[in-house]
Amino acid sequence: MSEFINENPDVIDSDELPSRKENITGDLLLSGISNETTLQRKKLLLSIDNSKSKVLQNIELLDKLLLINPPELTSDEESIEESDDEDDAYGNTDPKDVVDTQEIYDLTAHISDPEHPLSLGQLSIVNLPDIEVHDCGDPNKMVEVIIRITPTITHCSLATLIGLGIRVRLERALPPRFRITILLKKGTHNSENQVNKQLNDKERVAAACENEQLLGVVSKMLLTCK
Amino acid sequence: MSLKLVKSLKLQNDKLWSLDFAHGLLATGSTDRKIKIISVKDKDHVKLVDVLDDTVHKKAIRSVAWRPHSNLLAAGSFDSTVSIWSKESFDDLEIEDDDEETNDSTAATDERTLEMDLLAIIEGHENEVKGIAWSHDGYLLATCSRDKSVWIWETDETGEEYECVSVLQEHSQDVKHVVWHPTLPLLASSSYDDTIRLWKDYDDDWECAAVLNGHEGTVWCSDFEKMLDLTEETCNDRLRLCSASDDSTVRVWKYIADDEDGQQEWECEAILPAVHARQIYSVSWGPNGLIASTGSDGTLAIYKETENHDWEVIAKRELCHGVYEVNIVKWIDVNGKMLLATGGDDGCANLWSWDE
Repeated sequence: MSEFINENPDVIDSDELPSRKENITGDLLLSGISNETTLQRKKLLLSIDNSKSKVLQNIELLDKLLLINPPELTSDEESIEESDDEDDAYGNTDPKDVVDTQEIYDLTAHISDPEHPLSLGQLSIVNLPDIEVHDCGDPNKMVEVIIRITPTITHCSLATLIGLGIRVRLERALPPRFRITILLKKGTHNSENQVNKQLNDKERVAAACENEQLLGVVSKMLLTCK
Repeated sequence: MSLKLVKSLKLQNDKLWSLDFAHGLLATGSTDRKIKIISVKDKDHVKLVDVLDDTVHKKAIRSVAWRPHSNLLAAGSFDSTVSIWSKESFDDLEIEDDDEETNDSTAATDERTLEMDLLAIIEGHENEVKGIAWSHDGYLLATCSRDKSVWIWETDETGEEYECVSVLQEHSQDVKHVVWHPTLPLLASSSYDDTIRLWKDYDDDWECAAVLNGHEGTVWCSDFEKMLDLTEETCNDRLRLCSASDDSTVRVWKYIADDEDGQQEWECEAILPAVHARQIYSVSWGPNGLIASTGSDGTLAIYKETENHDWEVIAKRELCHGVYEVNIVKWIDVNGKMLLATGGDDGCANLWSWDE
């Protein structure tokens, strides 16, 4: 897959991504708080109960809710989702009727990375701003979905597998009127075109889905989906 | 001028990849591993007559093809094998003509009046067989695969044994589709490497005669113009091929001449007017001179040639399998009337009438 060595200067230095995100989550307790109110809330909560899990999660959640630009928060997509849930207006909406970029993100961000114990959202492989949905609103017409994924390293041989996982997930979850295009974000991979071509070749994807070994790996990746 | 849906047959439980029609029988193949045979006499007499043993192939049926002048059906599968099926001779075949013509529900029932049996399994490809095609005389079978090769198999009248006479490995990627010329010993293969290759017999050795470059994406399918009186002497007149690609274009290629080395020179004569928004999976050049195309956007289009090798779109039907992708289109002759047959991801085979 990486026969082509196209040195690309724009490439983000790889394996930093996952660990950097992890740190953010880890340090959340005391550092990285830019907002005084948040800090106060946090202190308050801590003074009430500083036993871990639940409270910490609540703090995180509060923190996220208070942040100005939640879509950027790829390190913890759950909070984004939950904040949606809290909005009553969304409560009973049939996902088939309203599929926006957030919906596509929620469907794909929880897929596990095939080699890290983290999700594609946590690793910023799938990012909300890199999802496009073109829906004319007519349920009898097709909807185009374009997802640009950012592999963690430029020669990541698992990019195809990740793309396949995303495609399988979306094809299973979305109605047939959706046309899904999965692309590697420009400059993120040495053999971008080859991977893109493969990920969007219907026949190859169909054949891959009949390959039990491959399907086993994909199913494992999808176990963490909600 | 109108393009009308004559019949929609819900046949398969998954993607319907391929269909072929001969002697009043429509054969279909699907991801659900079932091959179905439907008798089509006219729009009111359509009936499912057989479902072939679905344990023979272990994966999707990707392509089906009736052998000319014969009662054999070949099926290529993602399980890397090709199966050959035979049935009683067409003459003995009496398909009962009760008034219950097939509608969606009866098409799915198990009323069978025809029994096709497995005659042979052809093994050789390393992985998924994607396309199969019989030569016009029925003695050669071409198969192609993700293993980047095209194999040519020779058989006798019985069609029971197959000997590989050539393995053509010049494509650099998967070979998606193969098709023979309707009268000449000339084969065209379409590939994921964005090219079409033409192959011919040089003193009992099949060799590449031309490479058609131009498409900017996978070539999914090609089809020769049906000039049935064309011979090797007169082929300079009108030897043409149309092709369909991932790049959303349909192109028409014309043979120019042989060069000193016996290589064929071809040129792209036309790019048909843009109709499709996405991948085009199939084209069919009818004996009526019309080209039909379909693909991922679900649109069925018919093109007609005007005076100066220009083409115009004379019919366009969107969503011809609802919101599903359409994998194949073929012109079929049903009792002297040209119809179009399409097959889609909805598992349906649709029949369309075209009246000018």
